[in-house]
Amino acid sequence: MAHLDAEVLAEFRAGLITGRRGASITAHLAGCDRCTALGDQLAGVSALLASVPVPAMPDLVAQRLDTVLAAEAASRPVRAASPEQAERARADRPGQRATRHRRTPRPSFRLLSARVLAPVAVVLLAAGGYGLSRAIGPGSQVTSSAGSAASRSVASAPKAAPSIAASAHGPLNTPVSPPVRGAQGTVPRPQRITAANFTLVASATNFAAATLGQQVETDLGRPASAEAAQPVTAQLRACVQNLTRGAALVRVESARFAGQPATLVVARNGSADTAWIAGPDCSATSRDVLATTSVP
Amino acid sequence: MPDASGPGRPEPSDAELLRRHVAGDTEAFGELFRRHRDRLWAVALRTVCDPEEAADALQDAMVSAFRRAGDFRGESAVTTWLHRIVVNASLDRLRRRAARPALSAGDEQAFEALVTQDGDPTRSTDTRLDVNAALRMLPPPQRAALVVVDMLGFGVADAAIILGTSPGTVKSRCARARARLLPYLAHLQGNRSASESVQPAQGNDS
Repeated sequence: MAHLDAEVLAEFRAGLITGRRGASITAHLAGCDRCTALGDQLAGVSALLASVPVPAMPDLVAQRLDTVLAAEAASRPVRAASPEQAERARADRPGQRATRHRRTPRPSFRLLSARVLAPVAVVLLAAGGYGLSRAIGPGSQVTSSAGSAASRSVASAPKAAPSIAASAHGPLNTPVSPPVRGAQGTVPRPQRITAANFTLVASATNFAAATLGQQVETDLGRPASAEAAQPVTAQLRACVQNLTRGAALVRVESARFAGQPATLVVARNGSADTAWIAGPDCSATSRDVLATTSVP
Repeated sequence: MPDASGPGRPEPSDAELLRRHVAGDTEAFGELFRRHRDRLWAVALRTVCDPEEAADALQDAMVSAFRRAGDFRGESAVTTWLHRIVVNASLDRLRRRAARPALSAGDEQAFEALVTQDGDPTRSTDTRLDVNAALRMLPPPQRAALVVVDMLGFGVADAAIILGTSPGTVKSRCARARARLLPYLAHLQGNRSASESVQPAQGNDS
């Protein structure tokens, strides 16, 4: 049998070639180092693609979309949510009640978004200033009166800048720190740890359901060692995104649960941290959670 | 989604947010969007390969999702539905762009110049840059499939929903895309930064 070309091998690896042809490819691979190496390189393409971090949405794009969605919300026919629903919406956001002022009949999307995002923004600043392990230590508090706009630096997109900058000042009415321009007209973005850019650290902890809370606290008390960074698959990134839904991450650890390989995911969730133990099937669409707990 | 009210999870599920949006909650859609925006941005950016066009595509998609939320039947996860709308909007943009001559002819040369700068193609400059340039080489349907499966980690079944095609077609597009990218990305394997490293290819390299 002649050597396999990359496309045939890729289709075979995807399970698209079966039957006698598949069997002959299997037999060929068993005796051919060259084609086996080619197969490994194809696997490497997928692994390489999975390793590229998800880029954060540039702030100007985020602001533009916020504005567009606000306009959509404003032009929607008024359709009041039921009182019970409104009450539950408030209950779902602990810590927000105190800062919630008057409620206009049709509040603008941007005003609300600034308030909802505020706790996240605080963590953002903390992570940018001190690094992940410092920011997440028990009792670490960083206070800021600035809204989300202040903590998110402005990315480069000179074309759209003037109009967006103007709209950011108006409706938000929050202090926006003057951007410090870098050499290329861009502003360094504080590193916010999310599903897109987290580092997976190794832990020797074998978590158990009964002692999960204590074990997570103990683990978080130890600084995460950057040297122990583990490879992150696209599936794990998708899983973490699925679990945390954009919340700021505190720690992602490769560990064990009841003796089996599992991943500890800790995210800041309002005033408390939430910890999940994700099983091997956790992905973008499957929340394979073996255990979960709140960490005060 | 059954996880909405689990212990330590006070925030509503995606499906619940969408339901509230349909019921008239003015905050719900924005919150849903913020949860997923980085990944939605990534799929738009990588599919259309141009930040301006990606922003336009994402805007089209989100306005469409905002207005058509009532059509969501819960047959897939909300994220799958959102990604599908973004991919559709992105491919629409590309089709419209293809109608105008401009790009594509020079792309190959630009790419070659990028990977061989300093005259040394084995010296990786920036993996992400190289990957983006390589993705540009693919026909849009293959590119979208590869982005959704290999880069965002969706399973084939969900990817089929997102791409509006069959699982077999998703597999086939991904396979052809991987084979096509191999010559352009092989030099990057085993040459990655620590935090983003992946398992080196195992086996009998001769």
